[in-house]
This record gives sequence, C-alpha cells and structure tokens, in this order.
Amino acid sequence: MVKARISKRIAILYGSETGNAQDFAFILSHKLHRLHFAHTLSSLGDYNTLDILDCRHLFIICSTTGQGELPRNALEASHGNNRSSTLWSFLRRKDLPSDLLNHVSVSFLGLGDSSYPKFNYAIRKLHERIVNQLGAKEPYKRLEADEQCMLGSNKNTGAGIESVYFEFEKKALDNLCATYPTRKVNGEIIKREELPADVYLRPDSSLLIERDDNIQSNSVSFKGDEFVRVGSVERNQRITHAEHFQDVRQFIFKGAEAHEYGPGDTVSIFPCNTDQSVQQFLELQPHWKPVADKPLIFSDRAPSIEGGLVQPLTLRNLLKYHCDIMSIPRASFFKKVWTFATDMSRLERGLEQMNQQREKLQQFGADEDMQDLFDYCNRPRRSLLEVLQDFMSLRLPWEFALDFLPAIKPRYFSISSGPNCSSIELTVAIVRYKTILRKIRKGLCTDFIANLSPGDQLRYKIQNNHLFENEQLRDRPMILISPGVGIAPMMSLIRAEISNQIMLFFGNRFMEKDFLYKDLLQKWEETNRITLFSCFSRDRENSPEFKYVQDRLWAIGNTIARLLVEKDAIIYLCGSSGKMPTQVRITLLEILKKWGNFETDTAACDYLKLLEKNDRYLQETW
Amino acid sequence: MTEAELGLLLIHPAVTTEPELLAKALEEAAASGVQIADQFLITKINDKSVAVEDEKYDVIYYLTPEKRDAIKFPATLIPVLADALKPNGKLYGLPDTYKLDALINGFTTASEGRYHWVKSAVPQDTATAVPLKARANGGGAAKKLPSFKRASSPVQVAQQDNDNVLEDEYDDDNVNTSGKAKFFADLHNPPAELIEEEELVADSRDPTGITMITCGKTKTRRKKACKDCTCGMKEQEEQEVDQVRKNQDAVVKFSEDELTEIDFTIEGKKVGGCNSCSLGDAFRCSGCPYLGLPAFKPGQKINIGSILDDI
Repeated sequence: MVKARISKRIAILYGSETGNAQDFAFILSHKLHRLHFAHTLSSLGDYNTLDILDCRHLFIICSTTGQGELPRNALEASHGNNRSSTLWSFLRRKDLPSDLLNHVSVSFLGLGDSSYPKFNYAIRKLHERIVNQLGAKEPYKRLEADEQCMLGSNKNTGAGIESVYFEFEKKALDNLCATYPTRKVNGEIIKREELPADVYLRPDSSLLIERDDNIQSNSVSFKGDEFVRVGSVERNQRITHAEHFQDVRQFIFKGAEAHEYGPGDTVSIFPCNTDQSVQQFLELQPHWKPVADKPLIFSDRAPSIEGGLVQPLTLRNLLKYHCDIMSIPRASFFKKVWTFATDMSRLERGLEQMNQQREKLQQFGADEDMQDLFDYCNRPRRSLLEVLQDFMSLRLPWEFALDFLPAIKPRYFSISSGPNCSSIELTVAIVRYKTILRKIRKGLCTDFIANLSPGDQLRYKIQNNHLFENEQLRDRPMILISPGVGIAPMMSLIRAEISNQIMLFFGNRFMEKDFLYKDLLQKWEETNRITLFSCFSRDRENSPEFKYVQDRLWAIGNTIARLLVEKDAIIYLCGSSGKMPTQVRITLLEILKKWGNFETDTAACDYLKLLEKNDRYLQETW
Repeated sequence: MTEAELGLLLIHPAVTTEPELLAKALEEAAASGVQIADQFLITKINDKSVAVEDEKYDVIYYLTPEKRDAIKFPATLIPVLADALKPNGKLYGLPDTYKLDALINGFTTASEGRYHWVKSAVPQDTATAVPLKARANGGGAAKKLPSFKRASSPVQVAQQDNDNVLEDEYDDDNVNTSGKAKFFADLHNPPAELIEEEELVADSRDPTGITMITCGKTKTRRKKACKDCTCGMKEQEEQEVDQVRKNQDAVVKFSEDELTEIDFTIEGKKVGGCNSCSLGDAFRCSGCPYLGLPAFKPGQKINIGSILDDI
C-alpha cells in the first residue's frame, strides 16, 4: 500500500511575505522528492513544534518584513487562531537549555532587500537563536540574498536572489546525498539517483471521480477551519471621486456572530475566482469539462487547505475557490507541468511547435537564470490562465490539479470600525493597473470585493493582534500617521476613543478627489475628537506648504518632541511600504535630535530605538 | 448465435512451469464464451517486444501463480491494458490492492461473480490522465496517423512512495531526545517569559561569516520601479508600456464587436523574418509589434474578448 512520504527527519520550513521564500521552499522540496528523500514541507507557523525532536536536518528559508520582523506565516498558523504554540514562539522561551537543538543540523537562507534598514533581520534572528543560543549545528554558514545585490551572499556580484537560492540548494543536496548516498528498494540497497526529468512525480493524494453524475447545485460550504465565518455585505461604496484614478471603497459587512476585536486587529478575506475565469480555464483544458461537475474524492488524505476545503468537491469548485489561476505562475509551476505539453492537436505547426513549447516550459521551470520567466510572467503580470492560452500544447491532468496549481491565499485588511461593532468596516483600495497586456490587471481579492453587492456573502476570519490592549492609553497622546489607505486602522482607533489627545497626520493626493472620509474627519476635528493635520501631495492649491505627512510632522517638530519625551506619547504609522516608512522614521529622528534636548545625536537615536522596543513606535505597512 | 467475445490471456513467466494452470484458464474462458485471440507473457509486453492493439479485446485474463494478496504487477502496464480493452471490457486477475491504479486508468471494480475490473464507458479523456498521449493534429492530419501509434511517449508518472523514509533505512540515529521532551510539556500554555527578539540581531548591515555565492549565473536583472518611486523609473516603465501598446494598435484592429482580426495587410506593418510573431510572447523577439498579445493562428480571427475588457 501507499507508504507515508512525510518524514520528520528532514524538514523544509519557510516564512514568506510575497511568495518568493515559499516558492524556493517548494522547489527544494521538489528536488528532494526527486532524489527520493521523504521530508516535511511547511510554513514556520504551521510546523508542529514537537516534530523538532525527530528532526535531524532542518532547512529554513525566510524573508523579512519591512520592519525587520518575521513574516506573518512564520509567526502564526494558517488554520485556527494559533500564535502561541508555534515553533518560533516556543523557541523564544527564556527557560530553554543551550543544548536543546544540538540534535539538529540546520541550514538558513534569508531573502532580503538592502533598501530597507533591517536587511535580513528575520533570518539573523532565527540563526542567532537556533544556532548560537540553542546549540543546533550548521553544516555551512547561512546565505543571505539581497534583491539589490549590494549586501549579503550576492554582494556586488550582480546576481539575483535566485543565484543565492541555487547555491543554497546545491549545498543542501550535496550535503544530504553525501550523508545518505544509498536507499533501499524492496530490501535492496541501491545508489540514490535522481528521477529522470520528464517523469512526473505523483502527489500524495490525487483526485478521483466518486460517482458518475453531475452536481447541479451552486451552494458550497467549507470544512477544516472553524474560525472562518460567512458574513453578509451591507455597504460597498466608492469614496474617491469618480474621476480619480484610484477606486477606494468603504466596505462594510455584517459578521456572522458577535466578534471581539479592537483597534489594530485585522480581517482576512477569502476571495474566489469569477465563474468567467473558471469557464475560461475549462475551455483551455477541454478534457476537464466533462468531469467539471462530477463529485470527486481524494485517493488518500485530503490536503490541508487554508480556510478549509470546499464541499461538494468538484473540479469547478476547486478552480473557483482554491486554485489561483489568476496569479502569476512561478518557477515551481513550470517545473511540474512542462512534462504535460503533449497535445499537438491545437497547434498550427504540430510536433515541431509542441517540442518548442515543451522546451520553453521546461526552461522556465529549470533555468537558474530566471530572467526569461521574469520577463514573460512577472513584468507584464501575466496570469496562469494567460500562460495556458499561449501554450496550447499543455494538456493538464485534472487528477493532480492541487499539486501543480497554486493555492488561493486569503488577503489581510485592517479593521476600520469601532471595537466589537457587529458591522465590520474595511477601507479597501481596489488594485488595478496597466501593463503591455491589453486586459487591465486586477488584484484577485480586491476585484472580488469590488464586485460584491449588499446582501452578497463572503468568507472571513478575524485576527486579534492585541496591539492596543493592556495599556492605559486614555491620557497618553496618540500620534497617528497614515498616508492614503493607511487611514483604515486609524478610523478604528478614533472610533474607540482610545485617547483624549489624538493627532492624525493624514496625507492624500488631492483634497477634492481622494481625501478619504473627509466629512467624517472634518466633523471629528470640529468636535475636538481629533486634531487633523492633512496634506495633499499633488494639490498645490489646497496644500501649498506641505506635500507629505513628514512635512507636517517637521513643521510642529518641537511639539512632537515634547509629546514623545515628556508626555509618553505613542506613535502609530500605517500605510504602504516602500520609502514612506523610512522617511517618516528619519524625520522623527531629526525631530528628536533638534528638539528632544538630548546631549548627543546617538542618544536621540537610542531613544527612538527604545520607543520601538517598548511598543511606543508601532508600524503596520504593506 | 452470439459472436464469441475476444479475449487476451496474459501470463506471468512462472506459469510456464505449471501448464495445468494454463489449461484450466483456457477451459474456463471457453466455458464463458470467450475466444482467446492472443496469449502473451507480461514480460514481453513490459519490454515492448510485443505490442497490443488498442480496443481489441472484450476480456483480458491475467494468470499468475502468486497468492492473490501478494500479486505484483507493473503499474505502468495498467494503462496499456486499459487501451487494449473495448469500452466496458473486463479485466480478470488483478487484485483490489491495485484499486487506485484501476480508478486512475478509467476502470471501475466489480465484485459480482469473480472479482474483476470494468473499463469505464465514459470517454477515455475524462477518466484517464496517465499516460498522456500526444494528440494528433486536428482535422486531416489525425486520419493519417494509425490509432495505435503514439506520436510521442506518454508522460511517466512516478509514485511519491518511491521516496525513502530515512527513519526506516538509516537506523544509525542514536540521538536520544527523550530528555528534551520535558521542555515541550507546557507548549500550549500561555507563553512563559520570552527573550527580546531585537536583541538577537547585532546592529550590522553587512555581517561577516555568511556563505558567499561562488558563481552567479544570473545576469543583472533590470531593476523594477519601487512602489513609491520618485526617481523617474516608474514613468519610464509607463512609457515603455504605452509604446508597446501603440505598436499593438498598428498591427491589430481592435474592433467594437470584440472580435479582432490579426490583419496581415495593414500597410507599413512590420513582420519579422523570425516567423515567431504568432507563437506568443514567450517566443517573440524584443520589439515585436505583437508583444503583449496572445498567441494566435495567422490569418484566423481570434477572440480576444477575454483580453479586451476594460481597455
């Protein structure tokens, strides 16, 4: 019978922000399977902490958030609501002995970007704790990749982060193969050799038709995560001017039950594909059509799917709710599917063209130089669906759909409504942009939200982040800084009346076009609920002096410094990542240097760090 | 009188030492109205020295001296047998332990009478993914290809249980972690005191003691504009996009009914000698006027309704 292919002896764990670390982990997993190494593959947050006792070879691939933190999926489990028994929260306990992990050999790959100040901090934290403090062995020194090739393992080489990954992979495989050069097949010891490239590796569990009839009903349910609820849309209103380029929504839905939440908490929304996209996929893989609505079962264990698995299980439902066919396909997708480029019936030039496509697909998956893949997929933001349109030789086996199609992930939004309010309000910028492809690019989740009408249902889950709890905040000044949609959690803080003295620094482009919640904020200012400092970066007429939020901060630098140093004020910064958070931080530092009455600049700098350490300088950027 | 059903008898090599088994099988087949048309050793089919025709047989018998629950059969042959059977054809002799392979290859299992498998009458496409055959060219070309010839080799699928579990085969692990288990006892309790994360990192942007890469195979990737770009790169990218779109407008008529023709007659339109314009972006030259448009068949209308909305 089928043997367990999951082994605890070898584990690949990832912490991923944008998906790069996850995809590299998937590629490493793929390579290990092809060398017949059973192993565990998981996000750091989903890893079963106890399994570390049985682990001997650990591979950690982790990126770093803008603030030098571990990514969300490294800190929390994707199912349920667990943040306290994850591997990382366990390893941070003070009462652990210094030889706790001396049975583990661990290799690290960090993915970072040196344009952020805390370059590769996440992997360094993991490394310091796991190796230097808890005694794990490192067969080779860690690798740190830099998107900018200015620091780390690829410093000044001009080589991209994938070069660093492939160096890591080579070391990982060499090391394992040297330790385990043979394997046993039917009791016989043979040399460990890689599977031939064109052999497709069947996943643990594949799909089978359960009965030969068609499911007509459109109603679905999900099982697997009891924290995911179904809400009902109450309001979905554009709050930017119709002529403004960006569509921002005030989006309100009724929760399925009374939830406890507060300012700084988030909601994850589980989006789905449109019926039209699903139908397009089926047209491109016409042999899926006759089975699209048949009830399916898994040949083995049902795979674990974030947010729960759709019922009834049909191909159409899987494509709609779980398979991210609108995402940009990654190298691991091509690695798996190229061998299915076997259909020449739809090609104008027959066999020759089929082989050409086959070769190209294989190259996209295997090339260590990912430049061609980047130019073909990432740069124009080409969807998987559009790739299928271009490669008509691909005839994908639906049985393994969940193995080669990427999974739809939930998206996170800050809550704008007041605490515990049964109508949950979000502030959502609808993602749309233009590339060389004629069709406008859309974000899967925000497009899903944009198309919802009052009464429609959506799946969501609430995360309690405990940002503003357990603190006596009433009499402490709050300095809220939020360009654009960063206003979302600020609305919740203001509504919660968290402090008697709230200063809101709010930046937009044009006063009359994208001044979000203008009337409400102005009313709150009139009633002294907040002090509003607005500015408009492209609107000289209405904002002649100030372009950005940091300009407004600087203009009252003396006051800001006094509030921080004397009044124990709290800063909360929220908005898009990129240069804004860095520039705000530099401005605050200069304010402290100039008006903070510190003896030296270093003392001012240390004071800012102390604010961060004591959670008085909080930041949520994306 | 009904026509006799055509049968295929497959024989395990060890049967040759037990001729009475074979005789009995032939007798039984005849008794149930099956005429054994062919008789092959499975080893011959497995090494491809004998080929079986597609959809020839009503019944296939597999004859082996192995105990029923110990039968070993090459799973790669199951799709071949599926092909050899007519729709609703029956396969006797493979045990239920191969049920997964049966289902994947379009069989259903039946236990009325002697246990057997039935080839499903559902069109084969829908039920079998493995092996995948290269489809012949549509239209005329298809007729030229005899149905039993494969235009390319089928996709091979390996089971993941090829994987070896190190625990099973390398029992050299003499690490005893039982003493450490006690530290995990209060794993699910509210966290004890935690170390300060920030103190784990030294304040160094460029630490020593990391592995440097030995050879970077990548070319320097063209930089991408940052989210809040202020250096002008974003504008440059937007200009490039606009230029490509302008090139598209010169070669393609985007008409109102969303049916769009790739028109080869537009005056002044450049068609490269590369012959790759129709193959899609993955194959186009840089600067190709078709960049950004889907692959197409020259001269044919392509429905780009799907790519056209929201322009």
